[in-house]
Amino acid sequence: MAREQRTERSPLRRYFPPKKKFCRFCQRNVRDIDYKNIDILKRYILDRGKISPRRVSGACAYHQRKLATAIKRARLMALLPYLEE
Amino acid sequence: MRQYETAFLLSPKLSEEETASFITQMADVISQKKGKMIKEDRWGKRKTAYPIKRFEEAFYVIFLYEADPEVPYELERRFKQTESVLRFLTVKKVSRENKRKKKKRMPEEAAPALESEGLGEKEEAKENLSPDETGKEEI
Repeated sequence: MAREQRTERSPLRRYFPPKKKFCRFCQRNVRDIDYKNIDILKRYILDRGKISPRRVSGACAYHQRKLATAIKRARLMALLPYLEE
Repeated sequence: MRQYETAFLLSPKLSEEETASFITQMADVISQKKGKMIKEDRWGKRKTAYPIKRFEEAFYVIFLYEADPEVPYELERRFKQTESVLRFLTVKKVSRENKRKKKKRMPEEAAPALESEGLGEKEEAKENLSPDETGKEEI
């Protein structure tokens, strides 16, 4: 599967470079991400409840770190699931 | 004095009076130790993302207060003793503004890439500041 996708992708990539992602937190000039703000955090977890990687979330290193701790805190307080079945 | 935020989950088995009395007790701990309560938030019963001690919901309470560092320790000690507290979490709040300053561009980085462009940008900025040229264009 993965291989097929790759072969499909590569010729396209040559002509259409991937859209550049930007950090949405930097855009809004946010410093701290609150773990209680579930609506925002929910956008950055995958359907299995995992934290979305940087290549998906597009967050910068600083905000990805903050995001990860916020999600982990939210999990502890049972606001977000550790894993979703 | 520092700002802390303590959140805790209470068991849904407690009656309304019991939860209210427990919350006021905890609030008293802060005031006794000369802390200042800034905000007391009661979210009420809320469904938890996963069962805790077989409870599917919990009573969420959040305290935001300013106090000496011993206060959160005292609160947590009490939380551990009482069985009806399912979870608790204390976060140190940073009093800085919730805005991130833009990093100044390192001069070494900027210099080679924008040797000519950088100068050009500066000049443009000056032009924008002085209204005479832009004014002429508008006319």
